[in-house]
Amino acid sequence: MDVLEMWKTVKRADLLQMYYYLRLTRTLEDRITALYRQGQIVGGVYTGNGMEAISVGYASALERDDIIAPFHRDMGAFLVRGITPGEVVAQYLGKRTGPTKGKDGNVHMGDLKRGVIGFVSHLADNLPVATGIALAFRLRGESRVVVTNTGDGGTSRGDFHEAMNFAAVRKLPVVFFCNNNQYAYSTPLGLQMAVKDVVDRAKAYGMPGEIVDGNDLAAVYLAARRAIQKARADEGPTFIECKTMRMHGHSEHDSAKYVPRELLEEWKKKDPILKAEQMLKQLGCADENTFREVGERVTKEVEAGVEFAEKSPLPEGPETLNGVFATDEEIKP
Amino acid sequence: MTTATAGREVTYLEAISQALDEEMARDERVFLMGEDIGPYGGAFRITEGFQQKYGEWRVLDTPLSESGFVGAAIGAAMMGMRPVVEMQFADFISCAFDQITEVAAKNHYRWGASVPLVIRAPFGGGVHGGPFHSECPEGWFFHSPGLKLVAPSTPYDAKGLLKAAIRDPNPVIYFEHKFLYRRIKAVLPAEDFIVPIGKADVKRAGSDVSVITYGAMVHLALEAAELLARDGIELEVVDLRTLIPLDKEAIYQSVRKTGKAITLHEDNKTGGIGAEVTALLAEECFDSLDGPIMRIAAPDTPVPFSTPLEEFFLPKVSDIVAAAKKLAAY
Amino acid sequence: MPTDIIMPQLGESIAEGTVVKWLIPAGGRVEKDQSLLEVETDKVALEIPSPAAGYLTEVFVQEGETVPVGTLIARLEEVKPDGVVNKVAGVILRHMEPPEGGRDYYSPAVRQLAKEKGVDLAQVTSTGAGGRVTRKDVLDYLAKRETAQPQATPTHPSGAAIAPQEEILPLTPMRKTIAERMVKSRQTSAHVVTFFEADFSAIARFREDKTLTYLPFVINAVTRAIKDVPILNSSWGETGIVIKKDVHMGVAVALEDGLLVPVVRHADRKGLTQLAKEVTDLAERARTKKLNPEEVQGGTFTITNHGGFGSLFSTPIIHQPQIAIMGVGAVQKRPIVINDAIAIRPMCYLSLSFDHRVIDGATADRFMSKVKAYLEQSPWEKHL
Repeated sequence: MDVLEMWKTVKRADLLQMYYYLRLTRTLEDRITALYRQGQIVGGVYTGNGMEAISVGYASALERDDIIAPFHRDMGAFLVRGITPGEVVAQYLGKRTGPTKGKDGNVHMGDLKRGVIGFVSHLADNLPVATGIALAFRLRGESRVVVTNTGDGGTSRGDFHEAMNFAAVRKLPVVFFCNNNQYAYSTPLGLQMAVKDVVDRAKAYGMPGEIVDGNDLAAVYLAARRAIQKARADEGPTFIECKTMRMHGHSEHDSAKYVPRELLEEWKKKDPILKAEQMLKQLGCADENTFREVGERVTKEVEAGVEFAEKSPLPEGPETLNGVFATDEEIKP
Repeated sequence: MTTATAGREVTYLEAISQALDEEMARDERVFLMGEDIGPYGGAFRITEGFQQKYGEWRVLDTPLSESGFVGAAIGAAMMGMRPVVEMQFADFISCAFDQITEVAAKNHYRWGASVPLVIRAPFGGGVHGGPFHSECPEGWFFHSPGLKLVAPSTPYDAKGLLKAAIRDPNPVIYFEHKFLYRRIKAVLPAEDFIVPIGKADVKRAGSDVSVITYGAMVHLALEAAELLARDGIELEVVDLRTLIPLDKEAIYQSVRKTGKAITLHEDNKTGGIGAEVTALLAEECFDSLDGPIMRIAAPDTPVPFSTPLEEFFLPKVSDIVAAAKKLAAY
Repeated sequence: MPTDIIMPQLGESIAEGTVVKWLIPAGGRVEKDQSLLEVETDKVALEIPSPAAGYLTEVFVQEGETVPVGTLIARLEEVKPDGVVNKVAGVILRHMEPPEGGRDYYSPAVRQLAKEKGVDLAQVTSTGAGGRVTRKDVLDYLAKRETAQPQATPTHPSGAAIAPQEEILPLTPMRKTIAERMVKSRQTSAHVVTFFEADFSAIARFREDKTLTYLPFVINAVTRAIKDVPILNSSWGETGIVIKKDVHMGVAVALEDGLLVPVVRHADRKGLTQLAKEVTDLAERARTKKLNPEEVQGGTFTITNHGGFGSLFSTPIIHQPQIAIMGVGAVQKRPIVINDAIAIRPMCYLSLSFDHRVIDGATADRFMSKVKAYLEQSPWEKHL
């Protein structure tokens, strides 16, 4: 039983920590959505609303030295790795204080020091890159692991298959997550693939796969932890399909009228934050007061972050020309 | 140019092999990925014996998945390794176009992560290879900021540029011309040397007409120069060696001297690198031009297979001679 | 002169034809009557022979296209296209045209250099295509200016103003060539001239009822004199004087803006009639620019008929690598002394410039006496 497992193997502090991140992710993304609707954010806004357990779950199962190669619904993972709300909002506002200094927008943040690989819009491009990172670990004999994530749509791309194949052939220390939220923009699962479960693809490439309830923090965390440990022990890659639902549109400009209302109603009841609260209460780790305190805390943090970002300067035009090439000085020998 | 030292001549291909071997011995971060490079030694035998020497993991036989293994190389490079990926033929680089242009090229610009990756691409025709084994794809990447592109024409340049590419912290596509593999030889210095990226080389000095070129065409230009010299026309042959970043100063210096320029490459004419050089000359050297700039290139078609067709397609020595004569008389 | 190829009428009721296949590649050479393309109508399929020899430089109708009879389908050029072949746009080939305006066109490099160095471009001799001033021309001009006395060089802001009292005639390639050759010849040979006079009355009588000019007679006499004094038909060589067995007679032809010297080959083997015919033909083609390169090469002796406008004597310049050239003056009736009495005869001065490196005056005069004798005393019927 997942909940029991959690209680037995995870410290209370860590459980609360995970809950905190769930709340932080939700509050931050809601705030960004609000800013967008107020016309303060240019470009696209893509959230992981209703899917926070996946990113927080897998990121929490990693060690300091591990790497994540996330996609655009993984805000929780960014926050767990140490990207601050202030940096995130600065990124969205295109400010110089964001992780890309205005060079890229929304969730395309990356920072090698915090072990986060900058996401590329071309879905599944990050997967071969992740296998390469795992290859580096293998070549150097390091016991580090990389976790990567993509959506159901992402698994249609060639890069997904080439990465899975290569990782399995060479038994690389990489864990493949799939955020199956049932819609790729407006394309429902039935038009995206002929298999019922994405996990069937794991078998095709000769690696173990499992399905977890993407809205259940415990399930995600434990599955991630198992797979990560396996990878670290040189037992090769794993594929984990997280079943979930995309509660907002593809991006915040998309009203997603193509999603049946009943589906959304059904999944609303399985909200990951609600489920996490139920679990914590069941374990006696927290109560309504805790939840309210955490709520206040994250709200304050997010506001501080927004203020920081709003006060931050925009980059200047000529900065466009910076950084095309790396210099020798930047690279450690 | 090279300082010849006593020793045997090596081919262009052997020079590439030597560069790889020396860099792998010198720096344990360097490793190779590609199809059939392991026990088989590579389609052109450049990595023959390498797996025996460096082991299975440093000479990695990849599955048939260019996008996948170029992406993997990018990931490994981001982690501080120095992968050298071998495209079996440059033509297959199109499968990895997305990873190269969207991930590798843009990474450092976006979030400061360097990608010290080298992709070796055997390009060029004249080998009856047809449309998919003779491509010159440098034009596609010429337009992708964040990449460096090099194209050596001699064994010395081949060895020196590959070493420089491996040591560069940026993604470099290394265009090696398959026609030259076993056809040209030179004696190389025994000691370690690099050819700096971004520096052209005047392979032949002349006062009358500048030919700006790279790859196998350098040798055609030199041949043409010999013929033209008999008629009193002295060609200056500027070997670009690096395509990005272009050695603009070298180009300008040559054309300021001669006042007359021809760009020459095997790649298709429209939008080829010759077009960019022509535009640069018009912008920066207008007052030095004593005649129109001419472009010699392959026509805008895929590379045909049948011998008479391929001969028609590829620029010839006679094309260069005719153009230089016309320009000299202008 | 380009040759137009049109879609032929391949039958009475035929109104159109289809180009099936071009048998000559773009830019390729085709001989007269050689099959140029295959054409088909609903009645017949034929190979069309080329109406002329030339190079297929322009094709207007592609294979498979059907066009009405009379449509221009291609063009042949006489001269091989030597511009850069535009392979991109199919079969249209383009010469690199020299700039319009010839002398008046200044390239960016030329303008810049003139500006920097204060050069009046009108003063610069031009050697470029179409008469344009090249950068080298300006550099050469500057070099000369350096060595000349220091003078204030007039600087014209436009760089292209011309002084009102002067007119500039652009140098044609022919003029340049003539200039070069004349100076070079004078520098090479030790020119000496000897003048003789010949009585043309026998010739005049003979040709009364014939359409022959004096020139064939002169050629005839000269070729026979050469047989007597072969060294006149030679050239200077490092190892020795090269005496030529064949006599190829160069005949100078005045053109509107220069001169050409077409050659009558084996002139010694040809009778007056044939000589006349050839000379007329060569002269005509020289004036209309239809000579082949071979036809102005290989001469061993030259005759220049300078008497056309009344000139009596001349000191012509030897046509290298020959060693002599003979000028024929105007044939004029003059009073001369025959048998101590005054007679009126059509007389002609012959001026022989010879290379004193090779022959001396005595030899030259010996030759000329023979020429004179042949002119005055030949049984001309035998030489028709």
